[in-house]
Amino acid sequence: MFDVAIIGKGPAGISAAVNAFARNKSVVIFGGDSKKVLLSPSIPNYPGLPKISGKDLMERLNEHLKLTNATIINKTVIAVYAMGNYFSIQAENDFYEAKSVILATGVDFKKSIENEDTFLGNGVSYCATCDAPLYKGKVVAVVGYNHESVEEANFLAEVCQKVYFVPMFKGEFKFKENVEIIKDNPLKFDGSLKAEKLVLKNSLIEADGFFVLKDSLPLTSLVPGLEVDGPHVLVDKRMETNIKGLFAAGDITGKPYQVAKAIGEGQIAALNAAEYLDQKK
Amino acid sequence: MVIHVTDADFNEKVLNSDKAVLVDFWAEWCGPCRMIAPVVEEVAENLKDNLVVAKLNLDENPMTASLYGISSIPTLVLFKDGKPLGKIVGFRPAAQIKSAIKGALGL
Ligand SMILES: Cc1cc2nc3c(=O)[nH]c(=O)nc-3n(C[C@H](O)[C@H](O)[C@H](O)COP(=O)(O)OP(=O)(O)OC[C@H]3O[C@@H](n4cnc5c(N)ncnc54)[C@H](O)[C@@H]3O)c2cc1C
Repeated sequence: MFDVAIIGKGPAGISAAVNAFARNKSVVIFGGDSKKVLLSPSIPNYPGLPKISGKDLMERLNEHLKLTNATIINKTVIAVYAMGNYFSIQAENDFYEAKSVILATGVDFKKSIENEDTFLGNGVSYCATCDAPLYKGKVVAVVGYNHESVEEANFLAEVCQKVYFVPMFKGEFKFKENVEIIKDNPLKFDGSLKAEKLVLKNSLIEADGFFVLKDSLPLTSLVPGLEVDGPHVLVDKRMETNIKGLFAAGDITGKPYQVAKAIGEGQIAALNAAEYLDQKK
Repeated sequence: MVIHVTDADFNEKVLNSDKAVLVDFWAEWCGPCRMIAPVVEEVAENLKDNLVVAKLNLDENPMTASLYGISSIPTLVLFKDGKPLGKIVGFRPAAQIKSAIKGALGL
């Protein structure tokens, strides 16, 4: 059982890890490098580092993270469950336990596909490794938002009879023979008891299952019971959410979307998580 | 009580049961299924007067799973008088599962 689990490895998450470590807490941090930071050509307003590029900042943050005791797990977190006295964190097909959690997943304005939430668990899945074996010999469709989704589509192609791949980003794709690329705009899922069709702007895909693979998941499915306001999590001054022991920091808590704010909030969240842990003892 | 059911005895043990039955659809390869197993046992013990928990291995019993449209596991489906009353998909803490079952059965 870890003291603190941090979801997201951007500036907020890494700042939280550094500060939780300074308070002698054991830390696990989930996710890959922040694409927002990597994409910033330059970050002119982070005090002390006026000429730094996003890529260099990410490198410096990772170097600092390596100086801590944090266990780094490069997996997408599917869900965080409040178990009463502790939290259970599902990262793809594995579970981890922690006494407190800091959400630092950034903000995501990509709209969900219509009915994505209604059919989640009923023909729509966010996790290929979790559900692939259910579709042995069947037909599935993947709506892929990131490069990792190409790998996952190929993984599905090993078990499934056929895989449709709908790319939501530009790139060159290398696929197995039974993968068909559909370049079209997904509009909505349709079906009676479970998702059976994906309606796109100019076409229609019928499949036994649908995988929506993206960097971040809708907050309501990521943390059941969490109080949110649109794409943001509601927090108090201590960065604590409505769930005791669960904190949030960075873009996820609202504007301004800035590195300095993310780093400051990561610190506040970590110090309050440490205080929460010390009081629990 | 926790029992194990198959495609062959699903009718007899689940659909024709006098008590309500919570069917836990699971598989060996599924991490969250291993997590939910002790939780479901706790629920079974807590509600033993009103509920039987039946575990169904989805790889060995594909017919039942496909009949009820199971497309993600773990999935828990509550049956009463031969009919599915509701389902929970994915891992949940015991308290949430219990209150969902109590609500559905009017306990
Ligand atoms: C082009 C561009 C230029 C910018 N320029 C500036 C600037 O000049 N100055 C400035 O201050 N800010 C700038 N920003 C904004 C800045 O990048 C963000 O405010 C900052 O990155 C927020 O940090 P964060 O840690 O809150 O979130 P993020 O950096 O978004 O990190 C969140 C991380 O969590 C991961 N994650 C999400 N969900 C999950 C999950 N379920 N499981 C595991 N991991 C997950 C994501 O993959 C990501 O790595 C810019 C942004 C962009 C895109």
